[in-house]
Amino acid sequence: MNRTEVLRHIAGLRNGDPMIISPGLANYTIAEAKDEPLTIYNMDMSYTTPMALGMALGWPERRVISIEGDGAMLAGPGVLTTVARYQPKNLLIFVFDNGAYLTTGSGKAPTATAFGTDIEQLGRAAGMKNARTVHDIDAAKTAVNAAFTAPGPWLVVAKVDKQDRPAERGRHSLPMYVYEAGLIFHRAALQEQSTKK
Amino acid sequence: MSKPQEVKTPQSNVANTGKAGVRYRQEALESFYEGFKAAGIDFAVFLPDSMLDGVEQLIIERGDIAVYQCSREDEGIAMAMGAFLVGKRPVALMEGSGIGMSALILARGIVQKTPTMLIIGHNSTLGERYDYHGATRLVAEPVLRALNIPYHVLFDPGDISRVVVEAQATIEGQRLPFGILVPSHVIREIGDNR
Repeated sequence: MNRTEVLRHIAGLRNGDPMIISPGLANYTIAEAKDEPLTIYNMDMSYTTPMALGMALGWPERRVISIEGDGAMLAGPGVLTTVARYQPKNLLIFVFDNGAYLTTGSGKAPTATAFGTDIEQLGRAAGMKNARTVHDIDAAKTAVNAAFTAPGPWLVVAKVDKQDRPAERGRHSLPMYVYEAGLIFHRAALQEQSTKK
Repeated sequence: MSKPQEVKTPQSNVANTGKAGVRYRQEALESFYEGFKAAGIDFAVFLPDSMLDGVEQLIIERGDIAVYQCSREDEGIAMAMGAFLVGKRPVALMEGSGIGMSALILARGIVQKTPTMLIIGHNSTLGERYDYHGATRLVAEPVLRALNIPYHVLFDPGDISRVVVEAQATIEGQRLPFGILVPSHVIREIGDNR
């Protein structure tokens, strides 16, 4: 399955929802689809879902999306137990599992999922009931649609191939400024909250 | 919001909670709570530790600050930073060893201008009794110094509330994390089994 197709489907449903993205090529696809102010790009590995969880707990009226890679998720899987503990209905975790640290060097170094580690089962073992693994685009769209409509927390693991790496690399002009991200996000969140009061 | 009911364990006498019958200084616990309220703290995350358990149980018992328990301290700091980004005033409470685990997320918070208050027990300050806290003692302050994170070491429980309020002013004014380090004598009864 092609990762870009799934990401574009998520971007189409997003409607400005707060989103945090782990390091990797997914950042380019999301930024290219639409650069939303409530976005934190290129979060350091293992902190994407924890930060998204804090957002979800602190802003329960808003859907919050975590975009993970398999390597990033495996760097801090303990957070799945915290997600399961508090069961935030508004948290969606999408893991793009290509079985490799694709962004690094040659992109050939495998992750543990290439040897059988199952991230959906990690989530289920932690206590997340809405956990699914999808292997093709139709199943992925169905799972994503369910995550956007039914109460979460959701963990959708999309098994994707590595073939989009050449097409996605080199897109360095997209607006993914870490130094400004916190200011832009915070200002946009406060503005939205004050408008709705 | 998902309610943190699982950790909500009301105590009739918070000053006497904690492992092995640890006795906390009630005025210190109250001072933290008063400081949090005065500073507008409305989101707390912690990993349990013996030094700060009294504070954590008190804010759970009072029930007007959302309190969450994390599985690792760096995860908890990231949660607090996420809460800041959506308009909360967070605090993360942990043992000093947790700061050692959190250098990267703290650095990210500085770079991204996404701060949180840090309350830190067990450190290189006064009154650490046991050698098994040796690594904990070594790591907290050096990490804060390395990242130029402002911090204050408490000495008098009477200062706690004001320090918390001023720390929050620094956090919001400079968009930096701020650490408040808690020596044992500040929060526990002298002569207690610590």
